[in-house]
Amino acid sequence: MNFIDRLTTINRKIIYLVLAIVIVIPLIFPSPQKVRVMAPVEKLFNAVDTIHEDKALIINFEYDPQSQPEVEPMGLAVLRHAFKRRIKVLVMSLYVQPLGLAKSALDQVVGEINAESKSNPDSIIYGRDFVFLGWQPGFYIPILGMGESITNVYKTDYYGNKTDTLTLMKQTKNYNNVELLVSLAVSDIPIYWVAYAQNRFGLQVGAGVTAVSAGDFYPYYQSGQFTGLMVGMKGGAEYEELLATRLNIHKRRKAGETLSSITFAHLTIILLIVIGNVGFFIKRRKR
Amino acid sequence: MPSFDPWVWVSALLTLAIFSFLYKDNPFYKIAEHIFVGATNGYAVTFYWHNVLVPRLFNPLFQGHQLWYIIPLTIGILYFTRFIPKISWLVRIPIGITIGYFTGIAIPAGIEASIIKQVGGTLLTSENFARWNAGPLGIVWSIILFIGVLCVVSYFYFSKEHKGVLKVTSGIGIIFIMIGFGAAFGYTVMARVSLLIGRLQFLLGPWLGIIR
Amino acid sequence: MKRTLPLILLMIFGGFGILPFFIPHPKIQNIDSFLRNDLLLILYAFALVLGLGSLLHVHVNKIKHRGQNWQYSWILIVTFIVCSIIGLFGGVSGTGPLPTRIGNFPFDIQTIYLRVEVPLGSTMFALLAFFMASAAYRAFRARSTEATLLLTAAFFVMIGILPLGDKISHHLPSFAQWIMDLPLVAGQRGIIFGIALGALATELKIILGIERSWLGGVE
Repeated sequence: MNFIDRLTTINRKIIYLVLAIVIVIPLIFPSPQKVRVMAPVEKLFNAVDTIHEDKALIINFEYDPQSQPEVEPMGLAVLRHAFKRRIKVLVMSLYVQPLGLAKSALDQVVGEINAESKSNPDSIIYGRDFVFLGWQPGFYIPILGMGESITNVYKTDYYGNKTDTLTLMKQTKNYNNVELLVSLAVSDIPIYWVAYAQNRFGLQVGAGVTAVSAGDFYPYYQSGQFTGLMVGMKGGAEYEELLATRLNIHKRRKAGETLSSITFAHLTIILLIVIGNVGFFIKRRKR
Repeated sequence: MPSFDPWVWVSALLTLAIFSFLYKDNPFYKIAEHIFVGATNGYAVTFYWHNVLVPRLFNPLFQGHQLWYIIPLTIGILYFTRFIPKISWLVRIPIGITIGYFTGIAIPAGIEASIIKQVGGTLLTSENFARWNAGPLGIVWSIILFIGVLCVVSYFYFSKEHKGVLKVTSGIGIIFIMIGFGAAFGYTVMARVSLLIGRLQFLLGPWLGIIR
Repeated sequence: MKRTLPLILLMIFGGFGILPFFIPHPKIQNIDSFLRNDLLLILYAFALVLGLGSLLHVHVNKIKHRGQNWQYSWILIVTFIVCSIIGLFGGVSGTGPLPTRIGNFPFDIQTIYLRVEVPLGSTMFALLAFFMASAAYRAFRARSTEATLLLTAAFFVMIGILPLGDKISHHLPSFAQWIMDLPLVAGQRGIIFGIALGALATELKIILGIERSWLGGVE
């Protein structure tokens, strides 16, 4: 077998091994990367940052275990942002699978803040500062129902508490009391928010999405239907960068620390494609 | 330092069982796959019961004595007639209701969000020029976008043979489509690699303690 | 009757879906709210339960008839039953009548979700990175101008979106972002129009009873 043939028939298990190695080494020997923040993420950050005191932010956790590594850093970043600015937060999901991840993210961020707080006003208190509404079936039912009455849709929260007894829910009746919704999703859910909640009730919608589906959402961002857009791990890293530079929040940058590994993985895949094409063209010329 | 938490070891072993598929399909992978489906559905049952059926149906019906809830209960039970061949046609009733309502709300929502607003974002208006935040260059980009969208739509017009003007516009359209797909592929690579990094971070961090 | 009644119901409820969008009258809005929150929500829950029932039905049949890999169906069913019992009787937060902790070892439904379901789900999709790398190497060939365009755009984006792109040239990230903002949007928007118009046509056909495939069967 000559060199060209070897070049175009590398065993797939060697490819797997090489990919794993180029990802693992930067994880073991990390090097911080300077992240450049682009306009879509900055717009979303500004939209969250300028939420009025009397309005709430709804964070729709819509990522499942299959996309957790990509979207969870975004969720943690937005929660940290909201709680740092003492924005009232409602958390909900339109499907069952994201619930556990939403709870995990909430527990982590609330735990971080309360570990550092010195008094009750500093702390993040359930029912006063945030409510975890949980899930109700039929995705369009909560989307449309919350436009009229949130407590009518979510009669009990995730934990079984009656929502109309919670302080925050007494001030937040429907979308009129909500300034922005950020949907962290793996599917078309942000578009449904735009189609149903924004069209009927004028709700502002921002999105954090997986990189795979970025193409589906950019047209809606360009037309102004999304207030801002985070895409993939890079989007999460940009939001983390803004938290650090503008709000002095220096927690673990789950997205930022993966950028070195992503860089080497991309270079490896580009190299593999180039090698494959070089071999292909040389073979074609010989024929 | 490797973890001593038994759940971390369970997670790690399940992770490795799935990764073993890279070598070849094997019983460990199949076991892990079936555990996943079983656990996912068991998790879902918990929330169907505690978050929906109990507070939204059984409590109002049996504790609140709101007897009209018998109607949604009855219609919901019709779903299970699917398993009784003689009366399986009754399953069409709840399906017809849910499909009918969903289709109804989807029509105006889809027209507004995916057609009207998208057309609005394509037109050559001062609002769209300003959206680029690029000064006079915004007008250029908007014109290119306008031409690009028209050419892409002409590419997907198959009722007429692509000859003459249509051939030119669809040729331009395919250029836009290919560049867009290339960008989408680039992002897809990042997405898939991110997922792999997440799992490797877990194995190297919480399990083996190699990374902080 | 067996086909007419469901079709009539679909048409009526389709109307109930469309009207509130155009008629803000409180009576219409109240009926809409009632239908959604008190009828359809419960129907959806039953539909999901039906899905679960179907899944179990498939695997029980597999075991009964000794289908391929029937032994693994036992694992699925046992896992499902165990997790359901823990969730139903242990509660959403592990505070139900069933104890979900032995000393320091918790086994409530949230713990099982985070320690079993999350690793399994995310690892399954993590495999795709390997397959994608292998497939890109084997199949991604610049055979034509279009394919070369696609590859070139992909390379620019893959480098440009990362800090490395910024190090190579300060303009590269902006160029990558421009590719996302302009050519990608143009291409995708054309596709969105096609899909939206197709979906609209299908939805109208369903509501008007022209499209009847959802009825299933011959009867």
